[in-house]
Amino acid sequence: MSTLADRATPTWRSARVAVAAAVVVLVVLAVLPLDAITTDLSGRFAGPSLAHPLGTDQLGRDVLARLAAGTRLSVGFTLVALAICTGLGTLLGVLAAWAGRAAGQAFQRLIDVLVSVPAIVVGLVVVAASEGPPGLDTLLLAVVLTGWTPFARLTYQLTVRERAREYVEGAVAVGAGPLRIAFRHVLPNLLRPLTAHACLRFSNVLLSLAGLSFLGLGVQPPTPEWGAMLDEGRQYMFAAPQLVLLPAAAIVGTALLVTVLGRLVERRWNSA
Amino acid sequence: MSAVLARRLLALPAVLFLASVLIFLLPRAAGVDTARAVLRSRLGEAEPDPDVLAAIRLEFGLDASLAEQYLLWLSHAVVGDLGNSFVTRTPVSGLLFPALGVSLVLTAAALVLAAVAGIPAGVWSARRPGGRLDRAVTATSVLGVATPEFVLGTVLVLVFAVVLPLLPATGWGSVAQAVLPVITLAAFPAALAAQLTRAETVDALARPHVVVARSKGIAERAVLWRHGGRLALTSVASLSGLFFGGLLGGAVVVEVVFAVPGLGGLLYDSVVGQDLPVVQSALLVIVAAAGVASIAAEGLQLALDPVSRSAAV
Repeated sequence: MSTLADRATPTWRSARVAVAAAVVVLVVLAVLPLDAITTDLSGRFAGPSLAHPLGTDQLGRDVLARLAAGTRLSVGFTLVALAICTGLGTLLGVLAAWAGRAAGQAFQRLIDVLVSVPAIVVGLVVVAASEGPPGLDTLLLAVVLTGWTPFARLTYQLTVRERAREYVEGAVAVGAGPLRIAFRHVLPNLLRPLTAHACLRFSNVLLSLAGLSFLGLGVQPPTPEWGAMLDEGRQYMFAAPQLVLLPAAAIVGTALLVTVLGRLVERRWNSA
Repeated sequence: MSAVLARRLLALPAVLFLASVLIFLLPRAAGVDTARAVLRSRLGEAEPDPDVLAAIRLEFGLDASLAEQYLLWLSHAVVGDLGNSFVTRTPVSGLLFPALGVSLVLTAAALVLAAVAGIPAGVWSARRPGGRLDRAVTATSVLGVATPEFVLGTVLVLVFAVVLPLLPATGWGSVAQAVLPVITLAAFPAALAAQLTRAETVDALARPHVVVARSKGIAERAVLWRHGGRLALTSVASLSGLFFGGLLGGAVVVEVVFAVPGLGGLLYDSVVGQDLPVVQSALLVIVAAAGVASIAAEGLQLALDPVSRSAAV
């Protein structure tokens, strides 16, 4: 496998530079104080200009400002949802690993089922089951309902492996209780793989958010969100294809960025 | 081998029963008043008349206890009577089964395309890890995983239906109409299959039996495909089972974007229209299909992989 790593090095180095540049662009976009809401019906579908670097949309709103506001929403929401999924999944995974063999088996079967349910279907179910209109709350529920399962599966597997290590035996010998061993001794050793996994899941959550909003089951207009922008742009595809292509590029670019970032983090920790 | 499959088959009714209870309780657990939901789905948001509400409760048997309602619903469901749509007042089965047929064709075509594109790409790129072909396949597959169906579908419509008017953008029924939805649905599983096949084949090629095969003078191509690639098929097969179930439901986006009259589109329309009997029936069918597909994938895996076969008995 060493040949694989050696040959891949230049690619990974250029990936590092590209990732760093893209992160800077995203952060700058997210903090720019731009007006994403004001409409200007006399200036609809305008091309790029100094006032509107990426032109305007069907209501004369600044496309760059809407993309930038979408960055804040998408990244912020994804971080919150991921934090909940990671916390919940880790907690349940550790508990299941300590609960005995039968409970562990049942836990794994449950996860097998839940993991295979697509987030879009969960989102539809959540919207069908809730009384009010969809919004950020139903989105969060839809993502978290199955989003904790990959973390729980990973934590479970890692914890079962860690329990067989000597330091756990040592902790038992000095009289530490199971909860203390689980959270003070084992969990810190899982932080790295869990963080790397969170990076890999980031794009998944991001795409669920955009997908549900695209279907009208997530963020409601006029809130600027990439998936919703893409859906609105579809009606004007012939006259203004950039209204489809720009949000599409934002979605794919960000998902790609975080995926590559996750692999870089994983590589660094694996080689260290 | 058959013991494992039999155990899984026996577990299927239990899973379905559990799913049916959850699906039945779903709207009630969330506090949705069924009678109001019926009215809203027919009339929009109008404030309901109490007399009309009472009539609807009678029509749908909503005065009985929850357990009675569930048993009634289930006893009808097992013989294929899934109730009437709130919106059209026609039997749900008349909407559901044609849609299921469409989705089965769409999903199967996408899976076949994904396998035909993804597996050879993975095997070929495993031949020289880090080589030019490998890097191209890896980059394409990473892009494929990062591109969701709604983006790919929309961009494909823009390019092949709007800019170059080669293919119809929507509808279902002709081969030309199937091209874009099938490609859109196949992209993600194809990318995953390529990544998985590549990783497994690289591992397999480093194993002793490959050294033996090479030392016997077997042609490189045969080594690559019969000794390397075949091992990857096992995990790709188990993945495909997960996908088939997931794709049936996950085809929601594709069916909405391309206006394909399948199960996902039906589920979406009925959720938006608050047509609860259709939502529940569609979910039940998706769960059942996912369960059957995962068992079929396990059977396929056992058939392909002698090791798991002997370990499983």
